[in-house]
Amino acid sequence: MASLTLYSVSYDLAQALLGAIGSILPTGPRALITSSDVVTGLAVLVFGALLLAASMLNTILLIWWERKLLGRFMDRRGAMHVGYAGLLQNFADGLKLFRKNTFPPREADGLGFYFGPTAYMVSSLAIFGILPISSGWNSGALPLSLLLALTIFSFAPLFIFVSAWSSNNKYSLMGGLRSAAQMIAYEVPLLLAVVAVIIVAGSFDLTTIVYDQKNYWFWGPLFLALVVFVAAMLAEMERIPFDLPEAEAELVEGWNTEYGGMLFAFFMLADYLRALVGSILVVLLFLGGWTLPSWIPASLSAFPLAGIFWFMLKTYVVFGLFVWVRASLPRIRTDQLLRVGWNRMIPLALLSVFLAALLVTVRCVPVLGCVPSAGV
Amino acid sequence: MSEMWINMGPQHPMTHGLWNLRVRIEGELILDVDPEVGYLHRGIEKISEDRHYNEVITLMDRCCYVAGLAWEHLYILSAEQALHIAPPERAEYLRTMCDEFQRIASHQMWYAAFVQDIGLMSPFLYAMRDRDLVLDLLQDYTGARMTYEYMRVGGVRNDLPPGFTDRARKVLDWLTDRFREYDQLCLGSAIFHKRCDGLGILKANDAVAHGVTGPMLRSAGLKRDLRKDRPYSAYDRLEFDVALADGADVTARYLVRMEEMRQSVRILRQVLDWLDRHPGPAIAERLPRWLGAPYAPIGDEGYLLKRSFPKGVGLSSVEEPHGEAQAYVVNEGGEHPYRVKFRSPVFANVSAARQYLVGYHVADIPPIMGSVDVCVGEVDR
Repeated sequence: MASLTLYSVSYDLAQALLGAIGSILPTGPRALITSSDVVTGLAVLVFGALLLAASMLNTILLIWWERKLLGRFMDRRGAMHVGYAGLLQNFADGLKLFRKNTFPPREADGLGFYFGPTAYMVSSLAIFGILPISSGWNSGALPLSLLLALTIFSFAPLFIFVSAWSSNNKYSLMGGLRSAAQMIAYEVPLLLAVVAVIIVAGSFDLTTIVYDQKNYWFWGPLFLALVVFVAAMLAEMERIPFDLPEAEAELVEGWNTEYGGMLFAFFMLADYLRALVGSILVVLLFLGGWTLPSWIPASLSAFPLAGIFWFMLKTYVVFGLFVWVRASLPRIRTDQLLRVGWNRMIPLALLSVFLAALLVTVRCVPVLGCVPSAGV
Repeated sequence: MSEMWINMGPQHPMTHGLWNLRVRIEGELILDVDPEVGYLHRGIEKISEDRHYNEVITLMDRCCYVAGLAWEHLYILSAEQALHIAPPERAEYLRTMCDEFQRIASHQMWYAAFVQDIGLMSPFLYAMRDRDLVLDLLQDYTGARMTYEYMRVGGVRNDLPPGFTDRARKVLDWLTDRFREYDQLCLGSAIFHKRCDGLGILKANDAVAHGVTGPMLRSAGLKRDLRKDRPYSAYDRLEFDVALADGADVTARYLVRMEEMRQSVRILRQVLDWLDRHPGPAIAERLPRWLGAPYAPIGDEGYLLKRSFPKGVGLSSVEEPHGEAQAYVVNEGGEHPYRVKFRSPVFANVSAARQYLVGYHVADIPPIMGSVDVCVGEVDR
């Protein structure tokens, strides 16, 4: 893989910047600010800033992608006037929200009202520091990166519930309750489906999991786990058919009814950040991450940043499938959703764990080939 | 969660208009409901008393924004009865055509709103797209897409433009295909059945007791359709079936409305054929001067003539897309109606809300109320 990684770029940037500043300073301070500790510290900050910019940019692109796709599914064109093919439409929308005031309801709990969306946004962003986008993307090896990502991912119901309750609105409260119930119910099958992957890959490290798919991607042997994972992920992302916490038909906007301006934008962005995380996790766990199958000519992954290119392509295709689901299914009811979650999804997830264990035990399946030895 | 009242309305995505559904809930369970109407009252019945007979027609368009022509038809029937005027046969067929095009447009609007309520986004736009074709046809011969002002006492304002029937047939062919697509998108989905089967049940007895009419009544298995039972205009000369279902639930109402659209297409084909074969005047030839075009200046002459007409009373009922509408017009001899009174089917359908909402979940309110097809303009008038 090319040596160009996000961290190396930010390290070079930090070094160049500090070097330039240092060259106009006397020797004493120059030695201080060009010391390796300071450079590393600034490199981490630059790394974070680049990551933030990249993830926000991708989120906004994701919204554009969804709008275009939805438009096509609905026999219309989607955003098309601002920028080329409407690419800048979401920036315009974001700017509009940025300029707007936020009106907390009179009886709202001030702390919770502002804390909820902010924490929701921050926790969603934090996941991007963990996900490996291509080889060498991360600054350091994280042996438990998958676990950490899912842990941060599952903070969301708490923040949603806090913001719903502190809004002092009946619709918000009902939306918040539904959201908490739904996310907690679907957390279990989600994690069980991940367990199936962990069993086969023998690692909690996302990078290792991707490299374990060298021979073949996990979606084939772990198809059941993939189905459970995608369904549970749809519920976690609160998208149709599981979008009833914000079912606009009966709950106006659910838990974000009372939010406007930038706080609403936080919810909106965080929702899509989570959708992006969901799609990325599907790609990482089941679709081989940034790698390509061996039967594809190597020349296709020889250009610079090829890993990132293929990774983003897969991510956007996976998200496109989520949009397809959204365009074609009605939403189901809370009690039905919970019944499906506890009565169907969890047994299926357990079955997929069992199948994964069986696969590891048997090692080789006639059609599918052999799994990598566990615990590489 | 303890019991609480929530106001779904007057500004709420579920209402599709300006009314308020107060709901007492415990958790997600509905304990009681209380529909409140009156936010859109414009006093149309009172205003009518100050208008010439033909000027009331403009108000009828404002009764229901999706079924203006049906309301025009309703008023015209009783006005003609009160004024002892009979329209030519071609006008009767033209009015029937209006009614059926309007029924398709209205039901497509209902379909769009209904699927949107249960979270289906794409069919909403498909239905709106196809409804546009019907509106284009209506625009073609009435000149408007929503407020038509097409019917007149004694006939209709103008005849069809050349080539209209062929264009209409093309649209009908297209719509027949699309109805199949609508069904696939809804009935083919397991989630749709999960959301709609056995929901919002209103049995025939309760429906009759509450004065519920239209598709809601027919979905309970009661075969009552004014177009068959008390035919008006050209309906007694046309072949069609009454759409029936027996589930009395949301799915049954869906089936009834979809079947009604197909029957409307069937009726329209016959009407278009008849119109092709029978040219003739579209408005009665000998009308009193003061009944002329509503925007023609009414000179002294018009006022001089005002006592020349015999008194009368008109009572008509029409199978409007939402149910049975009734109009009562009293002619005391002046050029204005002495009294006008309407019966709105949706008012009765909404009043029975307690019957079909209590005991279900909050999330069931949008599909159930969607299946009622509320049009507030005619509820409040």
